[in-house]
Amino acid sequence: MPNVLSPEDANLPKHSKGMRPQFFHDPTSDKLLAMVMALAGEVSVMRDRNDTLERLIDAKGLLDKSEIDQYKPSKEVIAERDAWRQEYLSHILRIVDLDAGDMGRNDVSPEWQAVMDEV
Amino acid sequence: MQPQDYEQFAHAVLPEATADEFARQEFVKSYKLHLASQVSPKTKTVYETQVKPAFEKEHGRAPNNRHEIRKAMNGNNYYQTWSSLLRTSQEMMWKSCQVSVERQWAKLVSEAKKKSIDKPAGGTLKLDPNLKIPRYLTAVDIHCQPGGYHTEMVEDDVAPGAIFERAVYIYAMGQLGPMNDDIGASTIAYMQETFPDFTPKRILDLGCSTANSTVPYKETFPDADVFGVDVAAPMLRYAHARCETLGAEVHLSQQNAEHLNFEDGSFDLIVSHILIHETSTTAFRNIMKECYRLLSPGGVVIHVETPAYKDMDDYDAFILDWDTYNNNEPFWSKSHEIDPSQAAEEAGFDPSKSFEAMAPSAYEAAKAKRTNVFQGGDFGGGGFWYLYGAQK
Repeated sequence: MPNVLSPEDANLPKHSKGMRPQFFHDPTSDKLLAMVMALAGEVSVMRDRNDTLERLIDAKGLLDKSEIDQYKPSKEVIAERDAWRQEYLSHILRIVDLDAGDMGRNDVSPEWQAVMDEV
Repeated sequence: MQPQDYEQFAHAVLPEATADEFARQEFVKSYKLHLASQVSPKTKTVYETQVKPAFEKEHGRAPNNRHEIRKAMNGNNYYQTWSSLLRTSQEMMWKSCQVSVERQWAKLVSEAKKKSIDKPAGGTLKLDPNLKIPRYLTAVDIHCQPGGYHTEMVEDDVAPGAIFERAVYIYAMGQLGPMNDDIGASTIAYMQETFPDFTPKRILDLGCSTANSTVPYKETFPDADVFGVDVAAPMLRYAHARCETLGAEVHLSQQNAEHLNFEDGSFDLIVSHILIHETSTTAFRNIMKECYRLLSPGGVVIHVETPAYKDMDDYDAFILDWDTYNNNEPFWSKSHEIDPSQAAEEAGFDPSKSFEAMAPSAYEAAKAKRTNVFQGGDFGGGGFWYLYGAQK
């Protein structure tokens, strides 16, 4: 039976009732695959949006679409993009850094253990 | 406005999508098409070249049936990956449709309500808040639609119907046509060819959901009284608004097809479109008995499904059976083993007047794009519908 919630206050159910099958030996692999495909979907959405932008800009005569393909970044632009990509990769590879980085070491030092014992 | 064959017909109650929502839905459509046309066919190669030889080596014989093939394939990494991708595509499909419906939920509810008051086409809607939703629909959310057909979250909810209509289009990758009506249209085409002198006057569509298969009956037989029943109120509210929007006078009521309140002999055509596999063994028997009771002499019942396993080899049956285990379709497997002649006889029909056939898809434009196989995740791909039934 429906309750009295209006659409403004309600949420649709997000998961289907029933057992989700496990396909791989390790259930983590199923989850990772679902995450990868969700990300692939978002990249596709961004790509479509970018394509829309280029077509609109071209249609309005603000820019010839071929100029985008012919664009040669300057030395400064290349440097900015290089820096942005390093930052970007460090966010994505944070989990790798956990094993070797100097912050948040993935080990149990005597200092860490002492605090844990105390609290 | 004429429907374009490359997109879903945007009638007044079809949920709208923002550019990003549309792009997300388009991605799912492409993802599914890629799986069906590029990834799925190679599961057969993997079976033939790896899994089957390994099975033969171990057992000294080939697998005997689809169950043995499934158990052997479950350990194969290509099959695991394809399955995981397919399940994920199904979940992403619902999600991509849910998001836009949730955003315009209030508007869809009020639009549907308005249509049910104005009734421009003259159809009717009768809901029964006391109807018990059968266990085969409450135990699992069929084909993974969160909340299933029946769950109502808000007063006068239509969300499950709105989500379903858009998702069916994406699921079928547009192969059901701009109006999602290919199953109904194909059945009508079959019927007109098989019973050329038959012009039904009272038509009943069982488990009609959004009435996407019901509307073509009213269009083909404008003088007939067309009825649709379903157990799910939010489907029927949406269906009613949709029929009125499309100008199709259809009389909808919330009833279980196993026990209907119509009088004996009150229909000359009863149809169902991919309903049976979502019921149960007992429910199917009850439905067939109701069909016999409700048909007038000479009347016809037709159920449309994907092909029976007896007509395909074990590998194809195994692939089509994927939904049973992986897409919340518990009755799928057994329903594909139904013997139409036996079922007709049990319900009171003369078994010599039972029939089964493969009806070609009526939607020509999509034919070229089809994968021409019946497989998990692509039930429309075969280019044919399997139908069975009986004449009283």
